Amino acid sequence: MSAPFTLRKIGVPPNSANLTEARRRVFDFFRAACRSLPTVMDIYNLQDVVAPSQLRFAISAQIRNNAHITDPKVIDLLLFKGMEELTDIVDHAKQRHHIIGQYVVGEGLVQNTGSKDQGKSDFLKNFYTSNYF
Amino acid sequence: MGLGSLVSRAIRPASRLLRPHNTTFLLRTIVSKPELQSPEAAAVSQPQPQPNLPPRTPVGGARVHFSNPDEAIEVFVDGFPVKIPKGFTVLQACEVAGVDIPRFCYHSRLSIAGNCRMCLVEVEKSPKPVASCAMPALPGMKIKTDTPIAKKAREGVMEFLLMNHPLDCPICDQGGECDLQDQSMAFGSDRGRFTDMKRSVVDKNLGPLVKIVMTRCIQCTRCVRFASEVAGVQDLGMLGRGSGEEIGTYVEKLMTSELSGNVIDICPVGALTSKPFAFKARNWELKGTETIDVTDAVGSNIRVDSRGPEVMRIIPRLNEDINEEWISDKTRFSYDGLKRQRLSDPMIRDADGRFKAVSWRDALAVVGDIVHQVKPEEIVGIAGQLSDAESMMVLKDFVNRMGSDNVWCEGTALGIDADLRYRYLMNTSIAGLENADLFLLIGTQPRVEAAMVNARIRKTVRASNAKVAYIGPPSDFNYDCKHLGTGPDTLKEIAQGSHPFCSALKNAKNPAIIVGAGLFDRTDKDAILSAVESIAQANNVIRPDWNGLNFLLLYAAQAASLDLGLIQRSPKALESAKFVYLMGSDDVDVDKIPKDAFVVYQGHHGDKAVYRANLILPATAFTEKEGTYENTEGLTQQTVPAVPTVGDARDDWKIVRALSEVSGVKLPYNSIEGVRSRIKTVAPNLVHTDEREPVAFGPSLKPESKETIETTPFKPVVENFYMTNSITRASKIMAQCSAVLLKK
Repeated sequence: MSAPFTLRKIGVPPNSANLTEARRRVFDFFRAACRSLPTVMDIYNLQDVVAPSQLRFAISAQIRNNAHITDPKVIDLLLFKGMEELTDIVDHAKQRHHIIGQYVVGEGLVQNTGSKDQGKSDFLKNFYTSNYF
Repeated sequence: MGLGSLVSRAIRPASRLLRPHNTTFLLRTIVSKPELQSPEAAAVSQPQPQPNLPPRTPVGGARVHFSNPDEAIEVFVDGFPVKIPKGFTVLQACEVAGVDIPRFCYHSRLSIAGNCRMCLVEVEKSPKPVASCAMPALPGMKIKTDTPIAKKAREGVMEFLLMNHPLDCPICDQGGECDLQDQSMAFGSDRGRFTDMKRSVVDKNLGPLVKIVMTRCIQCTRCVRFASEVAGVQDLGMLGRGSGEEIGTYVEKLMTSELSGNVIDICPVGALTSKPFAFKARNWELKGTETIDVTDAVGSNIRVDSRGPEVMRIIPRLNEDINEEWISDKTRFSYDGLKRQRLSDPMIRDADGRFKAVSWRDALAVVGDIVHQVKPEEIVGIAGQLSDAESMMVLKDFVNRMGSDNVWCEGTALGIDADLRYRYLMNTSIAGLENADLFLLIGTQPRVEAAMVNARIRKTVRASNAKVAYIGPPSDFNYDCKHLGTGPDTLKEIAQGSHPFCSALKNAKNPAIIVGAGLFDRTDKDAILSAVESIAQANNVIRPDWNGLNFLLLYAAQAASLDLGLIQRSPKALESAKFVYLMGSDDVDVDKIPKDAFVVYQGHHGDKAVYRANLILPATAFTEKEGTYENTEGLTQQTVPAVPTVGDARDDWKIVRALSEVSGVKLPYNSIEGVRSRIKTVAPNLVHTDEREPVAFGPSLKPESKETIETTPFKPVVENFYMTNSITRASKIMAQCSAVLLKK
């Protein structure tokens, strides 16, 4: 195993002057998150459930969701919340089911790739999920 | 001093010593006006303005029925003129005027007792306040309900009632919905003056349903009057006099009447409460859902009180046409069966015969495979007694799409003709039974089959002295009833006109014939039904203004199933079936199903049929789903979900719709509105909720029957009143009742 990566706590919420600086901070955040992934897998015993590449994909998907934002202050706030989430996860303040539910992609991922689901109607998909639809 | 006509004088405090320290000194001028000097001047100065009284609506939005509009009288309630029918009491007049007078012993459906004295109001020109519940309203009476005399009377009565009442509020189940609490807060005084010892009374035992704490009783005698008038059992009575009065049964007797639970609602204090509900919940933490009862075919309106996912109790709702304010014990107390023996996951029977829980995908995939491996005529679908109209419609559509015609509902025997609705409904509606003056009950015991219909018959017998005649096995009735015979022989005699009862039938103005649905199971039912119809035609029972031919159905799902066309056509359908789909049907004779047939059971309780099933699909019970039910008189009603579904269960119709998709015959609707629009094409009366569709055709279209009537006497249909469907069989309270309360 590589040497564990310690998450440096960024105390003061950063104030990016312009978009470039915000962008730089985004990438720094992504790098910090990816570097803490082995610790996360170890803490929550996710070795058999998911591969680190999938978790990286999940994190980058969430960052890409907000790719359209141009206001540096908004980006700072989103980064702050992301950092908060990452700190919680690394501190073992969350639990396994949280990680699996939120970051192991989607509820139906494991079955979504199955071929039999293509032909099903929405009714049937909802029926298998729950009674209330 | 003396400044013009107006004399004004300033008042100063008499002495400085009497003046309190920190009040500011107020000057008050006395001004006199000409009107105040003499009455003539007052009358001249201005006319009295008419009090601008806002229009008053009757209490509770009630409507006043004038049976004879010419004889309406006018009384004044708190200065407000109000028109009332002639026989009204002062209390009813005040109700019409929108004034709700407090009362304990008066109940609108029971006789007047007048012993609580809480309804005292002041009437002009009367030396004492009058008991408004007993005093008839005379024309021109001026009734005052908020004068100091009336208020003092109420405070005094309240004080007396509370004198001997124990301080049980923290442990009393009625707390929060107690008349005594509410009325003492609204009308009582703030303190009592009683310092002696309170009296206490020993508790009585009335059975596993009604809990008595006799000390709390205020001797209003509502329970006594209910038991003797509405329920017809003279069990309860008042013993002793004065402060030693007790309500009791005098002998150690349990209340075995099927309406005994209604005394719980009637009792204004916590003396009679529900034993299964004792100490379980307070009424403010319960969420009430207004829904319909499905334990019998009456469709009584109920309110399901639930706390979270659990049904805590069931309370009746007012519906003048069906159940008034009462519900039977089975309806009221079978809710704890909803918690036991529930099916919550799909299960498949293993090779070693044990059930194994599987996912919905696998279960439906298995059924979808098997249903294609059998021939169409070997597929059979049977709907249960608690199925709603939507699920029966979807089941019929699915089975028909698979190529089979064998789908029917429990209780629908072979050869039932569902073309003419008058042949299976209660054509005089339940409320219309009140106008009948002669009842002929054929093969039915309404007391155990439909307790609310029985209550209505008893009400008619009491009110208008109607006569009741009965053909069937000996059973007890809570009204005077002539037992004509036990079997179809008596029926044949009446049809031929040779029985002495025929004269009474001819002379009756509004005869009502009630035939039990248990007769549908007989092999000679066509002959019996044609005999009944010939009796009806001979005695002018069916007229344009009065249709007295009634069929009392047994199950909540029967009327809707017959309207939708779920009837059994081929005689050996079940014996030659290879795929049987039981949708909640537990009364099916499981031995008739061949050993190699694949049985799917879809239901909410693991009852009898589950033991034969190969695959189980969990469904929702009536408290968890929104379903349409038609009662025995043809009134369509809807249940409302009160609690969430148990485990992984789904609604009945959704399961069959999903199954149809998995089997490749996808049905064209996928929402409940779609199912309802499909029902609309088949039986549009099932879509119009709370409306009763009267029958269209009469016996002129009746087909002739050639069978002969057998001589086997009529059998009782309901052996055990307390255990008739899967919910009641799973209920512990019902088990206690059937062990203790059934008359052996």
